[in-house]
Amino acid sequence: MTQHPEMVIATLRQRLADVEGTLDAVLSGEIDAAIDPRDSSPVLLAIAQKRLRESEERYRSIVETASEGIWLLSLDGTITFANERMANMLGCAVSDLVGRSFYDFVPARQREMAVQRMARAPSGVAEESEAALRLPTGCELVVIVKSSIICDAAGECSSVLIMITDATRRSEAERALRESEAEYRQIVESTTDGVVKLDPSGIIVFVNARFSEMLGYDAPELIGEHLLSIVMPSEREIVRDALHRRSHGAAAPTDTIYQHKDGKRIFVNIAGAALRDAQDRFVGILGVVRDMTERRRLQSDLIVSERMASVGTLAAGVAHEINNPLAAAMSNLEFLQEGVTKLQALGDLDHRVDWVREQFAEPLADARDATERVRRIVKDLMIFSRSPVAEHGSSVDVNTVLESSLRMARNEIRHRAELVLKLGALPAVVADEARLGQVFLNLIVNAAQALPVGQAAQHQIRVSSRRDADTVVVEVADTGSGIAADEIGRIFDAFYTTKDVGQGTGLGLAICQRIVSDFGGTLTVRSEVGVGSAFSVTLRVAEDAERAATQPAPRIVTSYAGRVLVIDDEDLVARSVQRSLGASCNLVRCTSASAALALIEEGAFFDVVLCDIMMPNMTGMDLYHRLLQVAPAQARRMMFMTGGVFSEEARRFTERSEIVVLEKPFSVAELREAVARFSETRELRSA
Amino acid sequence: MATQPAERPVVKLRLYVAGNGPNSVLARANIALFCDVENEQTCDLEIVDLLEFPQRALADGVIVTPTLLRLSPLPARRIVGNLSDRDKVLLMLRAV
Repeated sequence: MTQHPEMVIATLRQRLADVEGTLDAVLSGEIDAAIDPRDSSPVLLAIAQKRLRESEERYRSIVETASEGIWLLSLDGTITFANERMANMLGCAVSDLVGRSFYDFVPARQREMAVQRMARAPSGVAEESEAALRLPTGCELVVIVKSSIICDAAGECSSVLIMITDATRRSEAERALRESEAEYRQIVESTTDGVVKLDPSGIIVFVNARFSEMLGYDAPELIGEHLLSIVMPSEREIVRDALHRRSHGAAAPTDTIYQHKDGKRIFVNIAGAALRDAQDRFVGILGVVRDMTERRRLQSDLIVSERMASVGTLAAGVAHEINNPLAAAMSNLEFLQEGVTKLQALGDLDHRVDWVREQFAEPLADARDATERVRRIVKDLMIFSRSPVAEHGSSVDVNTVLESSLRMARNEIRHRAELVLKLGALPAVVADEARLGQVFLNLIVNAAQALPVGQAAQHQIRVSSRRDADTVVVEVADTGSGIAADEIGRIFDAFYTTKDVGQGTGLGLAICQRIVSDFGGTLTVRSEVGVGSAFSVTLRVAEDAERAATQPAPRIVTSYAGRVLVIDDEDLVARSVQRSLGASCNLVRCTSASAALALIEEGAFFDVVLCDIMMPNMTGMDLYHRLLQVAPAQARRMMFMTGGVFSEEARRFTERSEIVVLEKPFSVAELREAVARFSETRELRSA
Repeated sequence: MATQPAERPVVKLRLYVAGNGPNSVLARANIALFCDVENEQTCDLEIVDLLEFPQRALADGVIVTPTLLRLSPLPARRIVGNLSDRDKVLLMLRAV
């Protein structure tokens, strides 16, 4: 017998149905074989029974271990079989189910539908749908119902198989998933950063609202496009590399420039990550894109305000620096004034001369020294207030700037450390005095602030400069606490600060680095915890360095004999100029440019016109331009004085080659020499 | 066929079996026991294997095995099963 067990059983059932009076024996298991009266073929019952048992056991185990509830119904809906799972689902015993009507478990509202479904069952169509089951407790259970008709070998269909899946848990899981998806979508859509998803080849497959807004497109316009199509052409090569690296796992944030729909540039910072599926296959890139355009603008504003702030923090120290020599100068001058009144009480001339020599020499020298110190401090300050001249710098003497910066920071250093200064002989470098001064000042103040107040003897700030091939290296080192390895990578980041709130903006080093790199130089740091930190600024040597280094040798001029017009709205200055140039010269003072112009228009001519640049109403520049028209020869004899150039116009004016400028304050010697030299060159030219 | 004493009439029996099926083996053992030991009557027993002679079974109206037929004395009677029901079998053998 090689028939399929199911076939054997079906045949057997059929045959036994024809046997009269043998049912008890069959059921008692006392039968070995049967014979089919139709074809007189014997059927071995023992073998068939064994197969039946095996088959039934197999089905039983399937039915009983199924996670679905299983019902076998007769066509009128009576339950003829139920598995354990079904009973558990309904909260009762299997024996309670068999014999009851299936409709007892269908809620009233769904009964009509269930009846129709049962009516359809014999047509053999398997169905699946969501429905509710009413439990004996009165509760309802959401289930997935699958039904199919069961027919015997003869084609008689008398049972309906119903499989019930508890959908409560499934629908809960689905709801949780839906909610979680909605939540993530909301996060993605409400974030202020752009979010973009790329397929492995770089095609955009998703963008959030912010991303499309940033670029001025609608989302559908972007989807399907390659990312490179929205990158500025100049940046495409870099972005292509970045995409390649990212697909290989590297994911450092990068800066690049996108192109807005209207063509304008959008500076962005992108943090990207490779997306991988469950099998760890690369399936795309997720990018979080931040619009840095506004921040870049703010950053350049902040660079200005940071410079003002760094000057501001030193204002107190500078005032202190100025007050000391000023006090000395004032008291010495008052002493001299008193001396002059005493002089009249003295007797003969020789006696007076001796007395003046004895009494006046020292206070005079002191007053002179004191004012010299004030002049130097003010000059240092000027370096920091000057607006940047050129974007990429001009030739600058590093040591001069370094010394100015050190003087500015003297008050910060004094109480914290001993200053060790080692300046080498240097060529000029490519930089800008004001901005380079800002860098040095920042590094020096940082070094000072890394040290505690009151232990000056135990700490050092070492400042050195040296030439290294085509570069000049300036190093500012401290003996402070040092920077931990995990922080050292962040110290050049904007807004990163270890100082207390209000102590620093966290912009100092970021700005320093940018300034230095603008000059084509580098700013680096070495640090060791507990030993200290050393910042190195490396600058390029200027090409015209040698020329900048040569200065004309000063010469001594004791007097000047010529016609001189001094124009200054500050009469104190004009009077001191008059005194300095001495009685030998024919000098006229004016306190306004218009008065001077009137004088010249009346026919007066001067060998030298010494004119202040910045004056109310008519400035020195206005006068110069006017004279070029009415008295060009006189205009060419104008020499200018200034206490500081405040406007862009004035700055450009002073840079003109034909303009000679004498910076205030000047000493008597400087004034005499400048006027004599100027007069000589102009005489030569007009001769 | 020898003449038997009147008090021990001959009972003619035919047992249909199916090879060495468990119930068939049991039925053969049971009928032998009843005929030889417990029954005071003489048994004339024929054993037919249904698997060999299905046509004979059908001719006797037998469709399951084991089936024991009492052919004589009349009325003819039959028992379906492995003949474990001792009382039922003895009753069939005795009741004349």
